[in-house]
Amino acid sequence: MKAALRHLMRHRGRTLLTLLAVLIPVYTLVFMFGFAAANLRDMFETATRLESGHFQVRAIAEHETSSTLPLFDDTSDVLRVLDSTEGVEWRTVRLDIPALASVGGHSETILVQGVEPDTVARITPIETLIVEGEYLNSTSGGAVLGKQLAGLLDVGIGGEIVLLGAHPDAAMGVIKVPVVGIYEAPDASMERGLIQIDLTSARALVRRPTAATAIVCMVDGVVGPWDASGIDVVADAVRGRLPAGFEVVDWRGLAPMVVTYMNILRPVLFVFAGTFFILGALVVVNTLYLSVMERTRELGLILALGASRGRVMRMILTEAGIIASAGAVYGALLGVVLMWIVEAFGGIPLPGRFADMFRSMGLSATIHLSARASDVLISAAVMAAVALVAAVIPAWRAARFEPVEAMRYVE
Amino acid sequence: MSNNPLLRSVDLHKVYRTGTLETPALRGVDFELHEREFTAIAGPSGSGKSTLLHLLGGLDRPTSGEIYLQDTPLSGLTKDELARLRLTKIGFVFQAYNLIPVLTVLENTAFVLELQGIVRSERISRAKKILNELGIGEYANQFPNRISGGEQQRVAVARAVVSDPSIVLADEPTANLDTATSLDLIDLMRRLNEERGSTFFFATHDNRLLDRVNRLVTLIDGRVDRDEIRTPETS
Repeated sequence: MKAALRHLMRHRGRTLLTLLAVLIPVYTLVFMFGFAAANLRDMFETATRLESGHFQVRAIAEHETSSTLPLFDDTSDVLRVLDSTEGVEWRTVRLDIPALASVGGHSETILVQGVEPDTVARITPIETLIVEGEYLNSTSGGAVLGKQLAGLLDVGIGGEIVLLGAHPDAAMGVIKVPVVGIYEAPDASMERGLIQIDLTSARALVRRPTAATAIVCMVDGVVGPWDASGIDVVADAVRGRLPAGFEVVDWRGLAPMVVTYMNILRPVLFVFAGTFFILGALVVVNTLYLSVMERTRELGLILALGASRGRVMRMILTEAGIIASAGAVYGALLGVVLMWIVEAFGGIPLPGRFADMFRSMGLSATIHLSARASDVLISAAVMAAVALVAAVIPAWRAARFEPVEAMRYVE
Repeated sequence: MSNNPLLRSVDLHKVYRTGTLETPALRGVDFELHEREFTAIAGPSGSGKSTLLHLLGGLDRPTSGEIYLQDTPLSGLTKDELARLRLTKIGFVFQAYNLIPVLTVLENTAFVLELQGIVRSERISRAKKILNELGIGEYANQFPNRISGGEQQRVAVARAVVSDPSIVLADEPTANLDTATSLDLIDLMRRLNEERGSTFFFATHDNRLLDRVNRLVTLIDGRVDRDEIRTPETS
């Protein structure tokens, strides 16, 4: 080990180059995984918070063709199951009703979402998107709608909207609600087509005082899609205890865009990672091979003195191991420190067109990097292992030297 | 001196082949070496001295013929077995580039003991003892590039004898040294031969050193031309 360190120190330039061949892929990958993880986490969080939750309990549709969620009455049995299942952190009842919104001579087809204002604020981003007025509260009622829809209906705060419920499972109902808040959403279709009202008013719209279309649930300790197994465990537990006629739909079914994005992103990351690993390995092979050739006479002497071929291989692999470990550790540290610096400056704001694109997908236009410890460790460990495996080639070459020929070698 | 040969070669031939060109280096060498001998092999350049030493030391294989080390035929040994034999039975001193540059004098001396798997405390103690015995103990912590050529060759001799091998083979150990240093080195080897009973067999083409040996084998054109017993001069 001491001799290996001295060899490495003897050719500092080459050692540094080999170290960089391991270090650069590791910190680049750590940074890249941090970027990808942040992206996925934002997308997952936005999708689950905006609409779906981690899973929903719904009534099983009798007609698969219907795009409207079926109504069900009396949520108490389902709520009892959810409240007694370990891991269900939080749930809220929602009632989605296709409707016609009218103000004066203006009418628009929209989706009315009846929510429990006290609890739904936990997941819906609309409260944070309010630009005029205020969000719903459980006592005063009213409606919040998107700025675009407000423009189309030509209505402002305090104005009244007539809502005509058109759910296929219910009788048609009509209510009049005052506008209490106007929001701006990143998603144009949401801003133009979604009105939130309190659950009681929504139930009046379908004339069924205990109706609901979904119970939206969140699971303890879930940060990103990589925690999906935690959701699966809880969802399965709920599924097994639900009364007949109900189903559990998890985030994969509710936010298929996240799944598609993950399916695209994963192979891309693997290709990048593989390319980095191969490039790093090639540099390691090249520099170690050069080092072995420069030391031909010395290695010939060691073999002449009676060292076994295994011993010579171990010598070269020890040097490679030192470089690979140091490169991996420093690479991982550098990657984490770089991310920390980027975050200290507020993350990475995306430029114009990309920012618009991300906003339209419901994502934040600022990327907040956050690599998971497992990604950092795996990047560092795989690169170190690849470098070590690559070093077998020059080590094998060194062990095959014929002592006499090697000692005659002239550089 | 024992009558049992320590090392014996029988009809040893070595031919180097480069493409279709064949260059014979040894043309049938029959030769015996006994324990405690201090033997030089002399001859003009290209006479096959180094080739013979390499074959006797198990560093290379003959084209035909056989070598026996303490009655063990070397031709039947694998590469790894030959390496083990070199490690345990043979000490080497080469003409140049004898020491490992990243190891200190002490570590170089103890290197063979380390390869033999001897524990650190013992190998350090044995290496220090031999370095002191050879008068180079003060350089123990120096790196080879910090000491002179003559001192480097002394360290090589120390490394060659530290593990008490059956025989020390030295290939032109004084080739790069001035006369005084060369004579010092040969006297040192002679002293180890007398005091420790180490068997030395070394190649040289320096006639000034031949007065110090008690047997001289002369090789010409790959054959033993003369094999004479001598009375060595003392320094």
